[in-house]
Amino acid sequence: MIPAAPPPEQRRDLLRQWAGTPVTALVSALSAALAVWVASAVLDWALVSAVSPLRPMEACAEAAGACWRFYVEKSRFMLFGTYPYAEHWRPALVSVLLLALSGMVGLRITGRLGGVGPRVLLALWVLVIPLVFALMGGGWSGLAPVDMSRWNGMPVLLILSVIAIALAFPLGVALAVLRYQGRWPVLRRVAVVYIEAMRGVPMVTVLFVGVFVLPLTLPPGTRISPVMATLIALIFFHASYFAEDVRGGLQSLPASQTEAAASLGLSWGQTMRLVLLPQALSRSLPALVNSVIGAYKDTSLVVVLGIHDLTSTARMAFSEPGWGQYALEAYAFVGMWFLLSCAFLSWVGRDLHRQQSARSR
Amino acid sequence: MQHSPPPAARKPPDRLGTVVVALILLALAVLGANIWLNMRGAGVTPGFGFLAQTAGFDLSENLIPYAAKDSYARAILAGLLNTVLLALAGLVLATVVGVLMGLVSVSPSPAGRVVALLYVELFRNLPKILVLLVLYVLAVRGLPPVREALSLGPFHLSNRSIYMPMFEPDPSQIWLLLPLVAGALAAFWWGRRARRIKWETGRELPVMPVAVALLLGLPMAFALLADVPLVPTIPAFERFDFAGGARLSVQFLVVLLTLGLYHGAQIAEVVRGGILAVPTGQVEAARALGLTPRHVTRFVVLPQVLRIVIPPMINQYVNLIKNTSVAIVVGYSDLMSVSGTIINQTFRPLEMMLITMALYLGLSLLASSVMNRLNEALRARSARSAP
Repeated sequence: MIPAAPPPEQRRDLLRQWAGTPVTALVSALSAALAVWVASAVLDWALVSAVSPLRPMEACAEAAGACWRFYVEKSRFMLFGTYPYAEHWRPALVSVLLLALSGMVGLRITGRLGGVGPRVLLALWVLVIPLVFALMGGGWSGLAPVDMSRWNGMPVLLILSVIAIALAFPLGVALAVLRYQGRWPVLRRVAVVYIEAMRGVPMVTVLFVGVFVLPLTLPPGTRISPVMATLIALIFFHASYFAEDVRGGLQSLPASQTEAAASLGLSWGQTMRLVLLPQALSRSLPALVNSVIGAYKDTSLVVVLGIHDLTSTARMAFSEPGWGQYALEAYAFVGMWFLLSCAFLSWVGRDLHRQQSARSR
Repeated sequence: MQHSPPPAARKPPDRLGTVVVALILLALAVLGANIWLNMRGAGVTPGFGFLAQTAGFDLSENLIPYAAKDSYARAILAGLLNTVLLALAGLVLATVVGVLMGLVSVSPSPAGRVVALLYVELFRNLPKILVLLVLYVLAVRGLPPVREALSLGPFHLSNRSIYMPMFEPDPSQIWLLLPLVAGALAAFWWGRRARRIKWETGRELPVMPVAVALLLGLPMAFALLADVPLVPTIPAFERFDFAGGARLSVQFLVVLLTLGLYHGAQIAEVVRGGILAVPTGQVEAARALGLTPRHVTRFVVLPQVLRIVIPPMINQYVNLIKNTSVAIVVGYSDLMSVSGTIINQTFRPLEMMLITMALYLGLSLLASSVMNRLNEALRARSARSAP
């Protein structure tokens, strides 16, 4: 007997998808209208009415759309601000170093880049962080010294995000362990109060404390630059968020792990270091990546304190008299950068999620 | 033979903890001494006495009467109220946007899904400060000057403010809170009664209309009977600006829109996750039992979605309250920007930051404890009605 042919594949009923019910039809119509409106406005601004970067700045005067020549004139200023022009290779090198190192960490935690062990990465961090400050500050072997008030733009954004996150992470893990353990109840309570208080106030208030109160706590006569003060404030702030992510990982571990470690004769420190933390950290990675994205985006809040990160130099670029009409171009520059860099971070997060759900299945 | 249970192990005293806390206190004392020395060096004595002094600066807008001659304490209160107003409006807007976009993102319409996806991805990958700055530029550039304000009936929108009708303010209006609270309590009692009657007899009583009538009607009746003045004023254009009515600055609108769009995207993701987490079998089973689509949503899907969605929602709401502080970037007079101004004027960062952080901490703890309690109540109720 001839087996019956399989039924033909179900036809995708377009009408049913777009307008199966009156509500669906309404949603489709409104969404399509919104999409067309936004897309046409953006396209008109960015392409149709825009002035190409090849034409001189004067051509932009009566254009209704974007003036892409602005980037030719101002992108170096937006990237490095008032850093001495002849020394721009230093902030550029610093940015590349920090980006490369962050990229390596991202690739490593998703299981790529197998050749680079955690020890190598740690050594690189220990090497790169002082190098960043040395390169930016100068004052050694012929490098002209540059005051921190002239550190601007991209390197400041990266120092205040990448380095703050990198240094907040160990502090966060320590806080998580303190809050999780029951051996030292007093310390546990200290960790709880610290974490909850930090998470209960806006980041802006912590930044204000860093820039205005922290200098007051130093012995009279000592000074601290706003960038350093902000960096310290950010480290203490982000640590409380990382602590909660890691604690989530610790709490998800079954008690049998601790019991098995104890029956093997491991000490408390060994149990933490060899048994609990490695598992907890890998479980909390997706949550940590989310927190990192949030921390990275929120770094631009330093605008409030007059610290010139990328968003702030973009604002400076159109604040000079005569450039005020190019605000949107400048912000588009910053927006593109954040979309790009956050896309990488989101990809890391999604990849980790996929790996974890594959493992738990 | 029976073993008696072993005595509970005695916990050793936490010596390390005590030592660490002592060290922390010592460090704080050193820092405090430095603060004292530094402030004395600048000719300022630490303390909160300055709160009674004249503030001397104006606010962009205020909900309570405030003028530059009022005290710093009153300026802080006005800023706090502005923050609360912004937070409440932001919660409503973000919830509406988020739930709507969350629903659209799971709708069968491909156009709707694409739009929702792009919206969520865009706002999740941009800093809120950048969104705020761009919207501010667009508003200041795109909206017409006051002379050519966009008008819709008694509402007018210019690049400075939105103008709307309001009641003439009067001190005695504070008494209207009384019937409002009474109305809320009565509406609550009616809702419980209606549920009990439905449970016992199956008879459905109207709940929403009665609640609305109570909440609006009681204050109205009270105003009429007790002669509380409620004189409506409508904004009208005079020589340079609108007069009468109430106004909200364009700064407020821009921050509100930023918070609504930014947290709307996060809430949309939460809602989407909650809906997708309800197994399709549930819907199919309910349909097979003969429930109408509306009843499937109301009695099968919604209760399960709420259960999943509420805890992360509470998280979002608390974040939104904290994020109102970005208003300082565009100069809306919220708590943070008032306190920034006072710090610049008085050089008292320590006292002002203690006050500001305590107020924000209080707001977010209050909000999270109220919402968590509501959530517990909701859970307890659904556990009782579905044994």
